[in-house]
Amino acid sequence: MKRRNFVQNLLLAPVAPAVAAAATQTPSPQPAIHQKPATEPKTPVRERPWGPHDVPKLDLTGVDLTGQPAPHYFTAAQFATLRKLGALFVPPLKSNPGALEAQAPEFLDFLIGASPDDRQNLYRFGLDSLDSQSRDQFQKPFCDLDAQQADRILRPLLVVRPWAEDFPSDPLQKFIAQVHEDLRTATMNSREWAAASEKSGRHFTRGFRGSGYYWFPIDPISQG
Amino acid sequence: MPVKTYDVLIVGSGHSGGMAANILTSKGISCLMLNAGPEADYEKDRALKHAYELPYRGFDKPGRLPHVFQANEFNANQWVDEKEVPYTCPSDAPYNWVRVRLLGGRSLFWARQSFRLSNLEFKAAEIDGEGENWPISLEDLAPYYSRVEKIFRVAGRKEGWPQFPDGDFVEINYPPDTDSIKRFTQIATKQGVGVSKWRSALGKDGLASSINLLLPDALATGKLDIVENAIVREISVDKNTGLANGAHFVDRHSGREMHVKTRVVVLAAGCLESTRLLLNSKIGNSSGVMGHYLVDQMYGVSVVASVPEARDGKAPPGLMGGNAFIPRFRNLSKKDKRNFIKGYCVGISSGGNANANFFPLYGEELQAKLDSYANSCVSGSIFGERVARYENHVRIDSEVKDRWGIPVLHIEARDTDNERNLCKDAADTIEEWFHDAGWEIICKTDRVNPPGYSIHEVGTCRMGDDPKKSVLNKWCQSHDVKNIFVVDGASFVTCGWQNPTMTILSLSMRASEYLAEQMRTNAV
Repeated sequence: MKRRNFVQNLLLAPVAPAVAAAATQTPSPQPAIHQKPATEPKTPVRERPWGPHDVPKLDLTGVDLTGQPAPHYFTAAQFATLRKLGALFVPPLKSNPGALEAQAPEFLDFLIGASPDDRQNLYRFGLDSLDSQSRDQFQKPFCDLDAQQADRILRPLLVVRPWAEDFPSDPLQKFIAQVHEDLRTATMNSREWAAASEKSGRHFTRGFRGSGYYWFPIDPISQG
Repeated sequence: MPVKTYDVLIVGSGHSGGMAANILTSKGISCLMLNAGPEADYEKDRALKHAYELPYRGFDKPGRLPHVFQANEFNANQWVDEKEVPYTCPSDAPYNWVRVRLLGGRSLFWARQSFRLSNLEFKAAEIDGEGENWPISLEDLAPYYSRVEKIFRVAGRKEGWPQFPDGDFVEINYPPDTDSIKRFTQIATKQGVGVSKWRSALGKDGLASSINLLLPDALATGKLDIVENAIVREISVDKNTGLANGAHFVDRHSGREMHVKTRVVVLAAGCLESTRLLLNSKIGNSSGVMGHYLVDQMYGVSVVASVPEARDGKAPPGLMGGNAFIPRFRNLSKKDKRNFIKGYCVGISSGGNANANFFPLYGEELQAKLDSYANSCVSGSIFGERVARYENHVRIDSEVKDRWGIPVLHIEARDTDNERNLCKDAADTIEEWFHDAGWEIICKTDRVNPPGYSIHEVGTCRMGDDPKKSVLNKWCQSHDVKNIFVVDGASFVTCGWQNPTMTILSLSMRASEYLAEQMRTNAV
């Protein structure tokens, strides 16, 4: 209640008659119905036992600094294929970490494990398909291929996408487009990437990648 | 405890509701505004953060907002939760309904592009040879556009083109065009296509919302009360008169049911929400047209090119950067025979980087390409007009209810060959311009994003002179229930290619002044 009154007072203070200035000057008609004043008891004012400045703000530690992610969603073979894709698609370049340094595959194990069925199915199908194709073509798992061998499988699956939402209809091409984008995003949004950027003096991009204004849950329904 | 009584209930607090409150209270009319969501506190409710600090590293909680392509984890809490307030659509016709229920609604986040409709839109049937004209013309709305443009401080360059009506613009000094924009302009102009600049609402302190430009004045009159987290369930009707006499609403948190009695109801809940409320209230639809003629603009056609002499960081000063805007240039007269009706605008932006998804590459090879093409790109994208069709509609899906037990909307909207042909023409035309400029085409698409993506949905309570063919009259007043006004985008007959905000604001201003006069004379 107090905050609302405060906000209302703020709004009332700078009375900038924007519309009035722009409006044609016509005499205001009398309201057809007169407002009946309501009475609202004032919220009692009481001394709080302590002020906000007396409550200490404690330094907390980010969870990523205290433990290692424990991937558990993908099978060992699927996860090995995902790590191989991470190493190939987003290697460390210049002063930036690659997908493996940013633990992007570990993060995607968590993200896909928490995703709707269609996203999970796409990943499982894609990882299994790559591995299967590798065993057929090179008689070894995808994760053991050298860069040239992997490229012979991956290159035909790459497509141009004018919009990020434009995914090809072929499921394996779609998977490659999706996992490529996810690995890049998970890498560029990592703590490691941010630290490297800070070290090299680069500014962050506002928006989806890097940093931005985060909106907290506003008056969430669960607290109602 | 005695409660206040109000003359007018306004449902919704965005641009249209804010304008209604502003006008009505300025004339001494007491208003209650019910808003379905809470008030945001820009200081408390947001903070600058790294993506890695967010629970999902910027991806957002999977499956949370499948239809809001604009959502990411930074802004996810702005949008209406699709699980809390769902809607349905056919599996083969997805619809992206992008909603904000915070106080101020979508006026908090709009792109601020500010255009007038022209008589090509108001009198569309005359040039298209099909469809309906609006019951008003540009001349009817022009005085209101002018006043709205002053309030929102619209910056623009006057051109004198009938398809791109000039307004009362704030004069600003546009920076001189870069050489890439000059080159583009030369090519387009040679083809008889007019090249202008974006028209944008400057607002105040970077915000052009109802919460900073309209509602403060209304509150200052002492004639407006705003209640947050109040979800209107149904408009109540006096059985004797058939007129609306208030509304039933529910507290968002507690679920407590309430009723407010008012003399007039103004709906400004945002096009489809206003229509949903009327449909759930089972009023105002003697024409059978309510819910139909849903329309919005097409967004998705895009061409990206690279300026060769700007690659590898070698762009000389003054080559790259800047933008241009091309208002509708197709079908300006009946002589222009195309395989589609309507038209589109094109936005040109120079000096961007290439996206990774533009190239079928990965790893070091991709990074080298991105580095080489950095700051060398020019992009062109469109807002195209869809045709308003009876078949594209919303209706109540009584099988599905939202968190408060209110039946949800079923939305059906599909494109036809007209939309596809228009988009193909746009992509081919932009490609040709870029090619003629000597630029390398990187990617091109004529694919259209699903309906709703543009967040410019309008129609479903179209206005008209004939009560058998329209829901509202030319004053946004219900033909059937004279004390109900719908002042958001639901009244639109056609959508045009223009961002609809200036038109919504102007229609709301016009309707509100009409309403005030009707109340003064006891006609309502």
